[in-house]
Amino acid sequence: MNMRACLEMIQRPLALILMLVLTSCANVGGSGVDLNSLFSALKNVKQAVKPADQQEEEQIGYATAATLLGAAKPINDPAVQEYVNKVGLWVALQSDRPNLPWHFAVVDSNDIDAFAVPGGYVFITRGLLLHMRSEAELAGALGHEISHVVLKQQLKALQQAAQLNLLGAAAQFELQQHGQNTQLFNNVANATRNLYSKGLDKQDEFEADRMGVVLAARAGYDPYGLLAVLQTLETVDPKSNGMQLLLATHPAPAARVALLSAEMQAGHMDRYGRQVEGTRRYQQMIKTLVSTSTRR
Amino acid sequence: MKRWGLIFLVLMVALGVHAATQSTAQTIIATSLNSAPYSDAGTVASLPVSTNVNIIARQGAWYHVRLDSGQDGWLLMTSIRMNSTSSGSSGSSWGFGWLSSLFESGRSGATGVTATTGVRGLNTGDIANAKPNPQAANEITAWSATPQQAHQFAQQLDLKPEQVAYLQQVKGAQP
Repeated sequence: MNMRACLEMIQRPLALILMLVLTSCANVGGSGVDLNSLFSALKNVKQAVKPADQQEEEQIGYATAATLLGAAKPINDPAVQEYVNKVGLWVALQSDRPNLPWHFAVVDSNDIDAFAVPGGYVFITRGLLLHMRSEAELAGALGHEISHVVLKQQLKALQQAAQLNLLGAAAQFELQQHGQNTQLFNNVANATRNLYSKGLDKQDEFEADRMGVVLAARAGYDPYGLLAVLQTLETVDPKSNGMQLLLATHPAPAARVALLSAEMQAGHMDRYGRQVEGTRRYQQMIKTLVSTSTRR
Repeated sequence: MKRWGLIFLVLMVALGVHAATQSTAQTIIATSLNSAPYSDAGTVASLPVSTNVNIIARQGAWYHVRLDSGQDGWLLMTSIRMNSTSSGSSGSSWGFGWLSSLFESGRSGATGVTATTGVRGLNTGDIANAKPNPQAANEITAWSATPQQAHQFAQQLDLKPEQVAYLQQVKGAQP
């Protein structure tokens, strides 16, 4: 067993014991223990290792999902929602994390974007769905988001931003005591507002593109769907409102097209170019969105 | 028949509705127009940079295109760039005919969504000021699929799992 694994084994009970000791110290008041240095020592121990197990990731993901859904609520169209969930889960089942509780949702915005949330949540705007032509394109876009979750990129960024390593232990403690934890929720909500309005490192986006097309190909789709979506986005005026958030949080579509096409060529992805496109099923399923987007 | 088509197109443009089935692009490199969507297929024509093409369809990495001369053939998707429009809508209207035809007249943009962009917008400020909605986070789970449902759904389109290796980062291609 390596050092890191050892630390991970001892850190959780250690954190709880420290919390209990600190709480009792605080109760008796001024017992000579330097609380600040103990806290910072504990923080350093926790930051040195990444504790987030799946339960913690799901708690963080729930708070993140709730925050994003506060900015754009899910559309009330069960047929479309269930359709996107089936495509998404089929693609996610081909990933290295098939057993996460995957939840997909179409959110009520005509702007173009999609979001990956720790724990298995993926959100896509109505606007992006209406800029796609086929199920292979949808599978590619969802594959990109699923890859972010698989690679835990948002999770790591959120943990770092909110120092959730420490909060994770506190959250466990509080959950045991009260069955809920608003402190964790509020801290994640704050970190979410920051991360999802600024975006990940652009290398994370390129990596998710690279993995996303592979997941779509593994699912039996034509893997060039994502490239086609990015090429469509290249033609949308970058100054338009509909692209503001996407461009603030992602590399320019042209840069993504250039890099992804080179990588797909090097990886001989053209072998899968004749896989399923799913144009008819996609257009049949999505057409109810057109009428909802013309209201108001 | 052709003339009526032209008149219809002019009317559509006048109404702010872009032609749904026509999409133009330009070659961004000198390239050969192939007779089929394969790199070893025969060459139909040699195209210089900035040749105008009309997109008909896509198959994998290839676009089926028609030249202004009427000649058609296949181009690698990365050898062209779609022409964009200045209105903020998507200029890449090929393949969106199904959507545009469903729209009420007078809407602009290839997909018709542009006119409503900003109505229910989602910008960085909306995210930065988001008020959490835990109820929505609970409600969306009602739409989730089971692995069994996903498998049945995949079978309907004959989607078969494939063994595909992850792609490597291409050195020197970083923008």
